[in-house]
Amino acid sequence: MSAGDIFDAEELGTCISCGFCLPSCPTYKLTGDEASSPRGRIALMRAIDHGEVDVFDVAAREQGSFCLGCRACEPVCPAGVPYGNLIEDLRNAQWKGRRRPLRIRPLLSFADRGRLIRLAGRLRRHARFSPPSASPATAPEGSDEILMLGCFERSLFPAVSRAAAATLPGIEVPQDQGCCGALHAHNGDVERGEELARRLADRPGRIVSTAGGCAAHIAAVAGRDRVVDYSEALLDRGSLPGPILIDGRPARIGLQDSCHLRNGMGVSAEPRKVISALGAYVEVPGAGDCCGAAGTYALLRRKDSRRVVAPKIAALAVLDLDFLVVVNPGCQRQMIGVLRRARLRARVVHLAELVALAAAEAEAP
Amino acid sequence: MSTLATDAAPSLGADLGRIVGAPNVETRPAALVPYRTDATFGFSGIPWAVVRPGDTEEVSRVLRFANDRGIPVVPRGAGTSLAAGAVPTHGGIVLALTRMNRIASINPIDLTAVVQPGVTTQDLARAVAEHRLYYPPDPGSQRVSTLGGNVATNAGGLHGLKYGNTAGYVLGVEAVLADGQVIRAGGQLLKDVAGFDLVRLLTGSEGALAVLTELTLALRPAPATRTTGLAYFADLKAASNAVRGVVAAGILPATLEFLDAKCIRAVEDYAQLGLDTDAGAMLLFGDDGSAAEVERTVAEIADLMREFGATSAQVATAAAESEALLSARRCALPALSRLGGATMLEDVGVPRSLLPELVRRIDEIADESGATVATFGHAGDGNAHPVGCFDPGDHEQRSRVAAAFDDIFAAAVELGGTITGEHGVGAAKLPYLEAQLGSAQMALLARIKQAFDPVGILNPGKLGS
Ligand SMILES: Cc1cc2nc3c(=O)[nH]c(=O)nc-3n(C[C@H](O)[C@H](O)[C@H](O)COP(=O)(O)OP(=O)(O)OC[C@H]3O[C@@H](n4cnc5c(N)ncnc54)[C@H](O)[C@@H]3O)c2cc1C
Ligand code: SF4
Ligand code: SF4
Repeated sequence: MSAGDIFDAEELGTCISCGFCLPSCPTYKLTGDEASSPRGRIALMRAIDHGEVDVFDVAAREQGSFCLGCRACEPVCPAGVPYGNLIEDLRNAQWKGRRRPLRIRPLLSFADRGRLIRLAGRLRRHARFSPPSASPATAPEGSDEILMLGCFERSLFPAVSRAAAATLPGIEVPQDQGCCGALHAHNGDVERGEELARRLADRPGRIVSTAGGCAAHIAAVAGRDRVVDYSEALLDRGSLPGPILIDGRPARIGLQDSCHLRNGMGVSAEPRKVISALGAYVEVPGAGDCCGAAGTYALLRRKDSRRVVAPKIAALAVLDLDFLVVVNPGCQRQMIGVLRRARLRARVVHLAELVALAAAEAEAP
Repeated sequence: MSTLATDAAPSLGADLGRIVGAPNVETRPAALVPYRTDATFGFSGIPWAVVRPGDTEEVSRVLRFANDRGIPVVPRGAGTSLAAGAVPTHGGIVLALTRMNRIASINPIDLTAVVQPGVTTQDLARAVAEHRLYYPPDPGSQRVSTLGGNVATNAGGLHGLKYGNTAGYVLGVEAVLADGQVIRAGGQLLKDVAGFDLVRLLTGSEGALAVLTELTLALRPAPATRTTGLAYFADLKAASNAVRGVVAAGILPATLEFLDAKCIRAVEDYAQLGLDTDAGAMLLFGDDGSAAEVERTVAEIADLMREFGATSAQVATAAAESEALLSARRCALPALSRLGGATMLEDVGVPRSLLPELVRRIDEIADESGATVATFGHAGDGNAHPVGCFDPGDHEQRSRVAAAFDDIFAAAVELGGTITGEHGVGAAKLPYLEAQLGSAQMALLARIKQAFDPVGILNPGKLGS
C-alpha cells in the first residue's frame, strides 16, 4: 500500500482545521500538545498522505496508538469529519501484520477462531432460560430481532448476555454468530473487520447489541438502521420494571457512557431514560468522557488509560452511588478495576443486568 | 527558509529542554506537523521546535535564548487564527502557551479576572458565570480559542454591537519583550495615565511586539436573562436594510448576526435546528438584561424586522433554544466546508450604514467571478465574512475565489472600510495592508516593531515586518 492510498481522500479533505474538536479530546486535555489532538492527528495523516512523513515514523506511530479511538471529536465537528474511519485507516497501515502490538495479537486470533464460538454455544444454553414472568418487556409485534453477543462480553461477562436475552423476550440468539470484527477494525485490520461485520449483517432482522463498540462498528458496515442498542430495543418494548429499592429508598444509579455508543451511534439519552425508571438517576460529571478502556487501549497503554480515567474517580467519590451502569463490556472491565482500586462501594453492572435485577425484584414477593 | 533550520536543529531541542524541561520541547518533524498551520487555508511553515513553557520566567528565558541567536519565535494559543497569524512562515520556535492555563483570580468587587494567556475563552466565561459575572467577548471560536490569542488579535464576538470587542475588556497585561525583559502595563486601576497606552498597543499586536503572559480582564455583572430571535428575508440586502432600521429606531441589541442562504443550509445540515432552508437570508437577533426589558426589546425588534420586509420573525421561547441558535451561528464557518472542502474567508468591515452596499457588491463580485461565495457576519458591527468554498484540488476554482476576494478587499477599502474587522492581518492580509493604511503608516508600524523587537524575532512576516 502506498502512502497516498491509506486514507479516503474525501474523508481526509473534510477537515478545515477549525480546532473545535480540541477541547473534547481526552489526549489533548491530558497533554495540551496539539500533536495529540484530533486536528493534529489529521494534519499528521495529511503529511503521511502527501509522503512528507513516513507512516512508520516513531512519532507518527506514537500518535496512532496514543489516540483512544473514542470518537469524542466527531459529534462536535461542524464539518462532519469521520475521524473514526481515519484513525482505523491509520492503524490499518501502521499495525498490519508483524507490526501489530504483541499484546493484542492473541486477542484478535482468539476472536477470529472457533474457540469463542464454541464457548458462546455453551453460554447460549444458559441464555435460553425463560424470562421472569414479571418481565418488563414483551417483544414488539412482528419484530425480527437478533441479539448480537460481543466476544469480549461472552468471555468476560457471560451474565450480561444472559440478562440481555432474558429481558428482551422473543429475541433470537443465533447459535453460529462469530465476532463482529470491531476488535479487528479498531486494531489495524479494517478488511477483516468489515468482512466479519458483513457476515452478521447478511442475516435478516434488526441486530440488537449490548456493546457500544460492536454496535457502532456493525452500523458503520451495515447501516445505522440495521442496528440498535439494548436500551433502544428495551424502550421500544414499552414498559419497564419499577424502581430497585435499597433500605426502602430508590437506588442511586449513575451511568458511564460508552464512547462509541454515544459518539458513533448517537445513543446517550436512552440508557438514562431506562435508568430513571429503575431508580434515582444521578448524572456523573463527565459521564460522556472516555473511561480509558477504549477497546484494547487499557491493555496496550495502561498508564495513559489510568491518566484518562483519573478525573472520574474524584467525581465518583463524592456521589455515593449504589450502582454505576455501563453499556459496553470494555468499560465494565475498566470501571470495575477503577472502583476497586479507589475502594468505592458502587457496584458496576451492565444496563441489562440492572434491568434483570429490577425485574427479579418485581417478581419477588 | 533560513539556514538556521539545519544549523540550529541538532542542539536546539536540548538547549530548549534545559529551559522548559525535555517533555515540553519537541523537535521531531512528525510531531511538529500540527504546528505548521492554524485555521487558515493555504498557509503553512515548518517550525524547528515547539516549546510549551509553564510560566513567565520560562517564556522570558526562551525569548532571551532565541533573541541572542536570531531565531524566530511564533507565539501560539489554540491556533484558530484565520489570518495565518500563528503560522511559522519563517520557521523558528513555536511558543505554545496552552500549558499556562490557570485562572489566577476572579474579583467580584473590582469586576476583574486575572488569567494566564492559555485559558480558553469559554473556560473563563464559565468560571465567572459561577460568580454571576459575565465576560462578553465571545468569538465564534470561544470553545477553543485562548484569551492570549483573543487579546493578541483583539477578537470580536457575537455580542459586539452592545458590548464591543476584546479591547474594551483588557485592563492590564504582563508581557515579555523579545529580549526577555518582563513589563507590566495597566492593571486593576480604573484610572491610570502614566505612560503611553501600551495595553491598547499590545492588544491586537498579533504576537509581533511581545508575548502576553498574564492578562487582567474586565468583567460585567451577568444579565438576568438573554433571549434570541430569528427573522428570515428574501436576500442579504433586505436583511442588512433591516439592521439599519433597528439601529435607526434607537435600539442597540446585544446580537445582530446574519447568514445568507448557503450558510443557512450548511448550518442546518450540521445542527438540524429546523431552520428555513428556502429563505434567502436570516438575521439572528437577541438582547440581554432584566426579563421585562428583554422581552420588550426583542418583541420590538421582531416587529421592526417584519416592517422592514422579513418574511417571518419569531422569538425563541426557551433559553436552550437561544443557546442552540447562537451555537449554530458559531459553527457557520466550519459547517460551510460541507459545500466544497476548502474554505477561504474574508473579514471585511464597513461603517454599519454602508453594510447593504457592501453586501450588494460582494454578491455582484461573486456572481461575475463564478465562484461559490457564502456570506455571514456580524451585521450589527458592519463586519461581513464572505467565504469562498472550493475543492482544494481544483486550481481553477481556487483562483476564481482568490480573484473575487481581491475585488472584495478593494470594494471594502473604497467604501472607507477595512480589510480585517477582527481576524487580524497575520501573513494572510499583510500584502493588502498598505492599500488601506498608506506608506507613512506602514513605516510607522515598522518603527514601533523595531522599538519592541530590534532583532526581529517575534512573529516575522506578520505585522510590522
Ligand atoms: C470557526 C472559527 C470562528 C471564529 N470566529 C471568530 C470571531 O467571531 N471573532 C474573531 O475575532 N475571531 C474569530 N476567529 C478567529 C480566531 O479564533 C481568533 O482570532 C482568536 O482570537 C485566536 O485565538 P487563538 O488562541 O487560537 O490564537 P492563535 O490562533 O494561536 O494566535 C493568533 C495570533 O495571536 C498571537 N498570539 C497568541 N497567543 C499570544 C500570546 N499569549 N502573546 C502574544 N501573541 C499571541 C499569535 O502569534 C497569532 O498572531 C474564528 C476562528 C474560527 C476557526
Ligand atoms: S472540528 Fe472537525 S473540521 Fe474542525 S479541526 Fe476538528 S476535525 Fe477538523
Ligand atoms: S478519537 Fe478520542 S482520543 Fe482520538 S483524537 Fe478523537 S477525541 Fe482524541
